Amino acid sequence: MRLYFKAFKLNIRSFMQYKASFILSFISQLITVFSYYFIIIALFTKFDNIKGFTLYEVLLCFGIIQFGFSFNELFARGLDQFDRLIIDGGFDRLLLRPKNIIIQVLSTDSDLTKSARLLESFVIIIISLIKLNLSWTFLKALTLILMLISSCIIFFGIFLISASYCFFTIQGLEFRNLLADGGKHIAQYPIGIFKKGILYFFTFIIPYGFVNYYPLLYLLGRKDNMLYAFSPLVVLIYLVPCFSLFYKACKRYASTGS
Amino acid sequence: MSFYKSFIKLKFIAGLQYRFAAIAGICTQFFFGFIYIMVYNAFYENGGYNGISIESLISYIWLNQAFFSIVNLYYKDKEIINTIKNGNISYELTRPKNVFFMWYAKILGTRLSNVVTRFLPIILVSLILPKNYRLGMPSSLESFILFIITFILGIILVNLITTFYHVIMMKTLDERGVVGIFITIGDILSGLAVPLPLFPKFLQKVANLFPFRYIGDLPFRIYSGNISVTDGLKSILIQILWIIVIAILGYILSKKILKKVVVNGG
Repeated sequence: MRLYFKAFKLNIRSFMQYKASFILSFISQLITVFSYYFIIIALFTKFDNIKGFTLYEVLLCFGIIQFGFSFNELFARGLDQFDRLIIDGGFDRLLLRPKNIIIQVLSTDSDLTKSARLLESFVIIIISLIKLNLSWTFLKALTLILMLISSCIIFFGIFLISASYCFFTIQGLEFRNLLADGGKHIAQYPIGIFKKGILYFFTFIIPYGFVNYYPLLYLLGRKDNMLYAFSPLVVLIYLVPCFSLFYKACKRYASTGS
Repeated sequence: MSFYKSFIKLKFIAGLQYRFAAIAGICTQFFFGFIYIMVYNAFYENGGYNGISIESLISYIWLNQAFFSIVNLYYKDKEIINTIKNGNISYELTRPKNVFFMWYAKILGTRLSNVVTRFLPIILVSLILPKNYRLGMPSSLESFILFIITFILGIILVNLITTFYHVIMMKTLDERGVVGIFITIGDILSGLAVPLPLFPKFLQKVANLFPFRYIGDLPFRIYSGNISVTDGLKSILIQILWIIVIAILGYILSKKILKKVVVNGG
């Protein structure tokens, strides 16, 4: 882990070499992400609810998914851009070193401009929470924290799966992106608004539901069962197949030779 | 003229080679089409007419998805960006043709080939989907003809805009920063992220002041009858006006930037 932090610091320093470019990209990121939130806000000027969920409830949901996603874009960019490591043969170099391979991959890159997204999602979450005016209890606060953490974890798992995909083929990366981004897009809404099939898919196959739907119901006081409060913990189980897939795929890795 | 025509043809044929990317593109557009429709269906469940009916909205979404590869503003031509970044732009300068229109031909050719390989399966399948997901028929023959005309003008317009910000990249040497901001704002105002009728009133007025809504929003709404034929006819004039304005601006800007262009690399 110390290795990772050192690499992260170096990456930050390299970003700071081009200050003007960094600031502009940062602003550009802010506006890009704002356009996502804008879609929701615009729609809610015309409609007052979507299957019973109000504007700030949906924004909270949105913010939590964006939080986890941008957290990983910022800190786990090496995994996100894993295809590059495979294509240019940089992965061979990493394998030669006597350190944990995932930590090394993470250390290869971090995109500081994505901190704009992280910051923005955080602001959106705070605003929604203030506007929602929830009756807070200790358990609810804990649920919220669990949601944020599980959001970071689930995207880390998805990044791991996407990276494993590159071991098998580096063609058709668009399909890989579709699986990663498409799911994210759905999960930005409370998943209960969709058809049952989608709800089940995102409960049992990719457990987005445990990140921001089931705990959200508890947070908003629609369900009182304690199980809902602790449901984000399910995501931890999800990490097991993700890690094992990555390591298994890693074993059968054959270099491109370049 | 024939020089630019052969440029378009060349890029068109080259683009047709990427079949795998086309299949992946089609899947992506289908997927997002379904998501958007599901979200809007959920919104419309409580009824109410909000400037656009759910049927028109669904047609809008499918047309947008089918033609996404040519109407979206995010298109960045890797070849052009590379020529800017690695200094090969000096070769472009040796040619006795204007860079703006040369790049326009390049971009138009590539994007036409992208859309030709993608749009048909999406249109055909979405026409036969179940009722809540179906692409409707055009509201009348007149509106269909008007749709074709405004859409062709829209394609010319969007590629002029795309070329325009590639020219700006010559100056900024970066495809994110300023250009990124420009593109995102354009994308919002184009109505292709959220259809214009669902905007708050004042933003609709703002969007009317910019060229972006005349790319896809106008033809797609004419198709379903959300914009009447008479209103559509008036908009054609505005479309043509914008096409002329951006072509002239782009031409002047490219001349000006090229006078002081920095050739990178060696």
